Amino acid sequence: MARLRDGYSEFTARNAEILAIGPDSPEKFVRYWEENSLLFPGLPDPSKQVSRIYRQEVNLFKLGRMPLNAVVDRRGFIRYIHYGYSMSDIPDNETLLQVIDELNASSE
Amino acid sequence: MRNTIFDGQEAPDFALPDLHGDRIRLSDFRGEKIVVLAFLRGFM
Repeated sequence: MARLRDGYSEFTARNAEILAIGPDSPEKFVRYWEENSLLFPGLPDPSKQVSRIYRQEVNLFKLGRMPLNAVVDRRGFIRYIHYGYSMSDIPDNETLLQVIDELNASSE
Repeated sequence: MRNTIFDGQEAPDFALPDLHGDRIRLSDFRGEKIVVLAFLRGFM
């Protein structure tokens, strides 16, 4: 999250938005967003309905939900998806920005 | 069964309220912006 926060302007400069979806309550989201000065939308999903639709993995041995990152193009299609295998298995911004650059270059 | 969402498929649409109570719908970004979805673990 810190990574996405620090790189957010690089995403917005490419006409991309970040949507962060999580299982916590709206109250916890508000606190976390304020404490960490996050500028992109936070979407509490306490019923985990969206997490389920996207098949975010819950691994009881690894103590919880595994990170999941995806890039959706302007037509609404998934163009990159990464299911994390550990809590730190998150794509770096460069990987995501490269996907976005390719999409912008092909002006899909 | 995991990885049933795959590269190239249409992204399942959803709508969730943001921290201001405004409903954010994925399909509202169509034709406008590329969207990065970040599914979080949960705050520790």
